[in-house]
Amino acid sequence: MTPGVGTELAPVVVAVTQEKIDRYAAAGGDGNPLHTDPEFAARTQFGGTIAHGMLLLAYLSRMLTAAFGGAWLSGGRLKVRFRAPARPGDTVSAVGQVVRAEGGRTVCAVECRNQAGETLVSGEAEVPA
Amino acid sequence: MPPRLDTLAKGHELPPSAFELTPEWVSEYVAAVEDEAIGPLGADLVPPMAVAALAVRALLERAALPAGAVHIGQEIEFRRAVRAGEKLTASARILSRGERQGWLLMGIELRVDGEGGPVMEGRATLTMPVTEGSP
Repeated sequence: MTPGVGTELAPVVVAVTQEKIDRYAAAGGDGNPLHTDPEFAARTQFGGTIAHGMLLLAYLSRMLTAAFGGAWLSGGRLKVRFRAPARPGDTVSAVGQVVRAEGGRTVCAVECRNQAGETLVSGEAEVPA
Repeated sequence: MPPRLDTLAKGHELPPSAFELTPEWVSEYVAAVEDEAIGPLGADLVPPMAVAALAVRALLERAALPAGAVHIGQEIEFRRAVRAGEKLTASARILSRGERQGWLLMGIELRVDGEGGPVMEGRATLTMPVTEGSP
């Protein structure tokens, strides 16, 4: 059954570590030193390594898969902005809420937040109803 | 050596990359992103973001990211579910590029096709410092 407007999706909460970032870099083939090389990353505007944005989206996708099943896999849409980085040691929560139904689709506001409540990623996901 | 992303003009198409979603790679990806939701839907189903990750990987194989490049936005549409073992082709095209206050903003169209048509379409937005060598 499709969650109705106002429904909060079951969040996904993940402790981000450098090991997890390295594992994603290997699997995703994105070895940008900003993610994997602490010495390099320390010299950037971030001051240290940060998680891949696509890793955070994978947490959102996990939440949406759990909430909507196959409808997310076949017809799901995601549109987000990356607002702040996730760093090793952060606890990231992927959260979402159904905000409207339109054109045969269920629209959710989605976010990733860190343990301080700072928004790291925000946007909307759509799933065929 | 692939060209640097920030040297590519609007409209430039990167050569397509073919890849196979081997069960081993899918398992590695699922473990890396701790996706506990996909398994109950079907043993051989692939998390949709895995396809997007491969599209990004294909892009990075065809164009080198300049130092300081940051991913600031992403749009994705999953056209159909994908299963382990499928052979897919990823392609990318520079949709837009513009400069503001020393930073280059680039929009990149990402597309992944399988048998019978597209399985994923999307757009990545990246920003990077304007450096020597940027057109």
